Amino acid sequence: MSLVAEAFVSQIAGKVPFIHVGNQVVSELGPIVQFVKAKGHSLSDGLDEVQKAEMKAYMELVNNMLLTAELYLQWCDEATVGEITHARYGSPYPWPLNHILAYQKQWEIKRKMKAIGWGKKTLDQVLEDVDQCCQALSQRLGTQPYFFNKQPTELDALVFGHLYTILTTQLTNDELSEKVKNYSNLLAFCRRIEQHYFEDRGKGRLS
Amino acid sequence: MAAPLELSCWGGGWGLPSVHSESLVVMAYAKFSGAPLKVNVIDNTWRGSRGDVPILTTEDNVVSQPAKILNFLRKQKYNADYELSAKQGADTLAYIALLEEKLLPAVLHTFWVESDNYFTVTKPWFASQIPFPLSLILPGRMSRGALNRILLTRGQPPLYHLREVEAQIYRDAKECLNLLSNRLGTSQFFFGNTPSTLDAYVFGFLAPLYKVRFPKIQLQEHLKQLSNLCRFCDDILSSYFRISLGDGWLRWIVYYFKVGHVLYIGRG
Repeated sequence: MSLVAEAFVSQIAGKVPFIHVGNQVVSELGPIVQFVKAKGHSLSDGLDEVQKAEMKAYMELVNNMLLTAELYLQWCDEATVGEITHARYGSPYPWPLNHILAYQKQWEIKRKMKAIGWGKKTLDQVLEDVDQCCQALSQRLGTQPYFFNKQPTELDALVFGHLYTILTTQLTNDELSEKVKNYSNLLAFCRRIEQHYFEDRGKGRLS
Repeated sequence: MAAPLELSCWGGGWGLPSVHSESLVVMAYAKFSGAPLKVNVIDNTWRGSRGDVPILTTEDNVVSQPAKILNFLRKQKYNADYELSAKQGADTLAYIALLEEKLLPAVLHTFWVESDNYFTVTKPWFASQIPFPLSLILPGRMSRGALNRILLTRGQPPLYHLREVEAQIYRDAKECLNLLSNRLGTSQFFFGNTPSTLDAYVFGFLAPLYKVRFPKIQLQEHLKQLSNLCRFCDDILSSYFRISLGDGWLRWIVYYFKVGHVLYIGRG
């Protein structure tokens, strides 16, 4: 579980996640999960068929709403793009490659947004969608420690990865992280996972 | 609530009230929640040229996109999710996301991208519903929109190749159908005995896939193996969309009277 979450967090932070196991190197979240499963450490083995369906559905919800909202904020909100994203995305490359690649990526993301119907959304509408998604996650989690009660699953890793990134990444406005902070059980969930699995990293970044 | 609610949407065929998934979702939700919709089917006299049907029109509002239309209906007190718990409401959102991410690409591909299906069934049908010259333009535009959506959400930049994603999207769709079948089990609807938003969405996405007769039918064959999903669609069609024979007959009588009336007045 910690492996998967760590891989996911570093992916969102901009680096490609990879794990070394003996001689093999596996990269990207999806294949990492499959690889770990093939080695006999699947997290969702204890779930029945209906629960597995639910887990997959919630993972799609997170991908559909949270990931898209993060991309929107990074690439379609002019203030954020100008101040943060452009510079960060182009930083590994020399001039003029840094500008060209950043513009190309922005164009690509905008095309995708338009294709799925997010092209005309305002920032407020996107934040409302994030709120709806967080509300659904909060209701599903309830007072349990993990989404499927006692054992963490891929869903917990995915949700933690996204929420942690939202809560700890500095952007031009804090509205996105404020939306998440409205839900105390989600905040407690993130803190609990950070303390439990990442405590050897020193002081937690979630206050 | 007294304002008339009018829905513009694509028409029906193959035993369905509409062959267009999004239109069907809205029509089903309206039936489930008791909203009195006046359905205006797009036909050859239609003047509008927007491709983003279904559209709900009231006296003061024009609402498009199924999610927004359903939200609007809920605010007007036509709520099919009245009896759902908070967790079931959350599950609804999650399953709708699953449908849009895993099933929709393959449905779009079956209707709009697979050449045999598109040229022999989809394109002729849609072209027959709208006036010339729109019939030459709109189907092509819808097809390109579908391809775009598939490639941009599933393909790898910068060169988007359809062949790379085709196998994957059908695999995902079949898995999604299996998950839905497992979740439905032997129940009549997804949450108990009354239909809700999720039932409307599942019906809207599955019914056209189930009923429209295509040459290339791999996804349809898979769906037909899942008998509880087929039963689900058939039950909704027979309970909520009963197409009575009486209607058509009455329409002809009225038509004859109207024609006779006009001719008579014209003479005098």
